[in-house]
Amino acid sequence: MKEDMVKLISAEGFEFVIDKKAAMVSQTIRNMLTSPGSFAETEHGEVTFPEISTTILEKICQYFYWSLQYASGKETEFHIEPELTLELMMAANYLHT
Amino acid sequence: MGGACSRKRDQLDNGDNLNGRVSRRFCKSGSSKWLGTSFTRASMDVIQGNRRCPSLMELCIYKIREDINKYSTLSMLPRDLSQQIFDDLVYSQCLTDSILENFRDCALQDLNFGEYPGCNDNWMDVISSQGSSLLSVDLSGSDVTDSGLFHLKHCKNLQALNLNYCDLISDHGLEQISGLSNLTTLCFRRNNVITAQGMSSLSGLENLVKLDLERCPKIHGGLVHLNGLVKLESLNINCCSCIADADMKHLSGLSNLKSLQIAFSKVTDYGITYLKALHKLALLNMEGCPVTAACLESLSDLGALLYLNLSRCNNLTDDRIDKFSKLRSLKVLNLGFDDVSDAILTHLKDLTNLESLNLDSCRISDEGMVNLAGLHRLKCLELSDTQVGSSGLCHLSGLANLESLNLSFTAVTDGGLKKLSGLSSLKSLNLDARQITDVGLAALTSLTGLSHLDLFGARITDSGTNYLRSFKNLQSLEICGGGLTDAGVKNIKDLASLTCLNLSQNHHLTDKSLESISGLTQLVSLNVSNSRVTSSGLQHLKPLKNLMSLTLESCKVTASDIKKLQSTDLPNLVNVRPE
Repeated sequence: MKEDMVKLISAEGFEFVIDKKAAMVSQTIRNMLTSPGSFAETEHGEVTFPEISTTILEKICQYFYWSLQYASGKETEFHIEPELTLELMMAANYLHT
Repeated sequence: MGGACSRKRDQLDNGDNLNGRVSRRFCKSGSSKWLGTSFTRASMDVIQGNRRCPSLMELCIYKIREDINKYSTLSMLPRDLSQQIFDDLVYSQCLTDSILENFRDCALQDLNFGEYPGCNDNWMDVISSQGSSLLSVDLSGSDVTDSGLFHLKHCKNLQALNLNYCDLISDHGLEQISGLSNLTTLCFRRNNVITAQGMSSLSGLENLVKLDLERCPKIHGGLVHLNGLVKLESLNINCCSCIADADMKHLSGLSNLKSLQIAFSKVTDYGITYLKALHKLALLNMEGCPVTAACLESLSDLGALLYLNLSRCNNLTDDRIDKFSKLRSLKVLNLGFDDVSDAILTHLKDLTNLESLNLDSCRISDEGMVNLAGLHRLKCLELSDTQVGSSGLCHLSGLANLESLNLSFTAVTDGGLKKLSGLSSLKSLNLDARQITDVGLAALTSLTGLSHLDLFGARITDSGTNYLRSFKNLQSLEICGGGLTDAGVKNIKDLASLTCLNLSQNHHLTDKSLESISGLTQLVSLNVSNSRVTSSGLQHLKPLKNLMSLTLESCKVTASDIKKLQSTDLPNLVNVRPE
């Protein structure tokens, strides 16, 4: 795993390779990747989420990038499909994002 | 996942609406708000200008709000999430009877409807379905009736209940809640019908810590039912004009009482004797009571007394004021509008714990000021409408902790202001007095920590505004003496921290001034009334996205022009004049 990339793995085993900077938008992931020694994830740059489905995890990654874009001044709308909202919210709560 | 409930519960505090939106009932009860003005002004200071990125949680909550009609229930969600959705629906005023159904059996802990329009008995069923999870409910200003309160019997763990301004609740309603023995906080402000009979229903609420019965005109004779509530720490019976000495008797055994407010009651010196044994009493509000300084005899052993309000006590004079010197623990003392003279200050000079002293409209002059020189902990000093002048100010120059000073309508002149130049801790300064001019302002440029400056009626001209540049942290500014032109307002345009700006009654100001103001994006409140501002100038206000209050009376601006601005560019604008 390249230094500045991390791998997020969904419940179905789907792997999302994204910029570390994007992943760290989530406070939970940030803690996992930066706290010294307490998580195995720090070594491999990989985090598995057995409770987050692929669709939801994909949406979350989209949010990460959207958030970085927003912070840099490009303010667009983030669209959420209605059928995903509740599940997405629960995942966002868990990921503290 | 999702089960962890880490949301901090906001404690239901007092009668104030803390929903985050502008309250429809502006609580102007001067009496119970006195603590808020004892120290430096706050609240408007916290709004940040830049819009930060919304979290994914927030985006989901907004989306749910948009689609709320598609859902029939939210009970599958962990309760801290349904709680956030609920709070958002209240905040955005989107809650209705049918939408509330979504929250049936959600095991919610806090239902804060606070003055929400439409809240009535129909909602009580869903409220009670939260069952033993419900910890606090705020039904203030609602149309809930006595029979509606019956539903609360299912909520045995209820700790906080707010029924302020509920006009339809009577003694029968109090009967319905008499079994809620886990209640710690109960609020019943401004209820015109509850009587001593209703108060008897409260005698079983053995866990009650805080009771608010402000403005209940018929409860006299009812305090006897409180004498068993030994856990009571806070009792507010301000503006219950019926309360008299006989009622005070029943408070004498409430040894845990820390805060007692009896403003504008009929209690006299005799009634205060019943408080002698309340050794934990820290706050006593006797504003507007017919007491004299003799009542202080009863308080002299109360070593925990920190806050004492004796303002507007018409019978309080210089008679026996030596008793003030015994109140060594006092931090906050309010003697506003009392007929006391410099003599009182000689008895305050050793109260070195004093942090806030209010002498508004007292017969104080330069002579008495020397007694304040030793009050080194003083943070806030109110001298408005006194005869204090420039020579009195030299006694303040050693008060290194002074943060707030009000010299409005005093005899202070430009020359005297030099004596304040060393008070680097000053944050708030009120110099609303006609005799103050640009010269006085020049002497204050060293006070770079100033956040609030009131020069309302002072004769400040354009040249004086040059000195304002030193106050880089200024949040609130008022200059309404009529001496400003557009050129002077240019000197204000770099005061980026400004949140409140009042330039009314400067008749020469034109739309050019609004142009200068357009960069002050932190502005929350703006007043340029009685000027030559016109509707064409309104476009300059478009960038002021934080603006909540705009006043342009007596200008060539119409209410509909402002409404247009409100709808297209300034969504946060709530208070406008003209309306």
